[in-house]
Amino acid sequence: MLVWALLMFSRPEPGVAPRIAAAVTLLFMVTLFYQMMRTYETHRWRRYFFAALGFLFPVGFIWELIALRGTMSIPVERMISGDTPFCFMVIPMAIVPAAIGRTVVFPGSILPTASNPHAVAMMVALWLAATLVMGKGWCSYGCFFGGIEEGFAAVPKKARISKIDLRWRWMPWAVLAAIVLLSAATLSPVYCSWLCPFKTVTEYPQVRNFETAVQMGIFVTLFLGLVVALPLLTRKRTQCSFLCPFGAFQSVFNKIGVFEVRLDRSKCKPCVLCEKACPTLSIGTDALESGKPRLSCMKCGACVDACPRDALVWHIKGTEVGAAPERARLLHLYSAWALAVMFGGSIIATSLTKLIGLVA
Amino acid sequence: MKRLRSILGNTLAWVSLALAVLTPFLLLGWFQHAVASAGLRIDPLYTGGEIARVAQREGYRIEIYRPAPRRSPFQKIDPFIQMVWCPADRLPARVSDEVDVDGDGVPDLLVTFDSKTLAGSVTPRNTRFRAMHGAGVISFAELIARVNDGIVVRTRLR
Repeated sequence: MLVWALLMFSRPEPGVAPRIAAAVTLLFMVTLFYQMMRTYETHRWRRYFFAALGFLFPVGFIWELIALRGTMSIPVERMISGDTPFCFMVIPMAIVPAAIGRTVVFPGSILPTASNPHAVAMMVALWLAATLVMGKGWCSYGCFFGGIEEGFAAVPKKARISKIDLRWRWMPWAVLAAIVLLSAATLSPVYCSWLCPFKTVTEYPQVRNFETAVQMGIFVTLFLGLVVALPLLTRKRTQCSFLCPFGAFQSVFNKIGVFEVRLDRSKCKPCVLCEKACPTLSIGTDALESGKPRLSCMKCGACVDACPRDALVWHIKGTEVGAAPERARLLHLYSAWALAVMFGGSIIATSLTKLIGLVA
Repeated sequence: MKRLRSILGNTLAWVSLALAVLTPFLLLGWFQHAVASAGLRIDPLYTGGEIARVAQREGYRIEIYRPAPRRSPFQKIDPFIQMVWCPADRLPARVSDEVDVDGDGVPDLLVTFDSKTLAGSVTPRNTRFRAMHGAGVISFAELIARVNDGIVVRTRLR
């Protein structure tokens, strides 16, 4: 955090707004980290960071789009010149065409340019580094989209819909399989064109005919349904649980990540508080019997925080379950928080700078 | 064996921490370089592909790209050929050029457009290309559009 602060304060940006934004962000991140240390709770404090990231990312992003091109919509001319910012969501769709034809089926640029700093190589590199460190923890610390629905899910005290058919949890895998195949067949990023709810708060293709109008309608409907309404009703991250193909893709990397959550069955009296707390349907009877959450676990720590008997613990693969859970928690937290501060903190500070500039 | 696995697990956990700390300063740059040097390129269906030849005209030039062919029976964007008139600011108000796409000395297309309104047409001189009439962006494969310093014309292949 100190290094981040030095970097932020030494940036040659004019005005006092960037320094105020950096100071506020630093205070925010330090406070959250201190509380994580003091209370031994991870999810409770991480959630504030994640929601702030989720709600502030669109502010900075939209601001940048308006400054660069005067609109949130991206015209075909900008696509041809490679000015579409690359999003990590495209990665699973790009793999097959890249492997076969060495081409990226996305109208961006491989290396950063003046008109498109969010290039393919940079986003893939960031994703790769974060995935090696956190596995699916990306969905709890890195995904700025997830923060929006986590923010909405945190609003109600009690879920109005508590019974969810568990078969829905296979949906992201089905969407992943469909978009990988369709993207390879059509040589286009199908999810971005038709299904991404977050186009609503980032950028979207210019509405110029019936097809693009339908696409826009789908984006808004999915956003309002899965990112706003259902999280408010269920207290779950419903877009992540029922739609997000990147989340399903990222689940695979839980197999290679060294940190995980495990259940000490000798301590567990199945009160199912963990099941209720889990935002992504990753804990159920089968998971409790097997001693670990499902593959979709995004290591948010909600279940660990919720367990009154400390039966759910942080764990380093290869070590004995429950032997040194706090060491496992801290090593995971330091790693995830280091990346969260560097990247998420920078996004929060940049967006705050814009907001302060708007007010001042 | 148990102890060895434990040591390995703990070592990997510390390596993860080191990776996280080093990522912003070293690893991100290395990974970015690795991805960039993997020989990937943006699909020609979006960029138009590579320039095959340049035809000089008085005061401006025409960059003629390699055709972006059909590579999948289901591909969303029809195959097309891209040509760019540049610099756009030095074009006459009404552009009318015969373009030899394949360099065999015989014109393949007659391209005509208004450099201000971007309304125009492409008339094929053989059966390899489709005709186009309109203004601005009709689709990804059919358009007359200002992109950076040039005016891009795309017309569909048969």
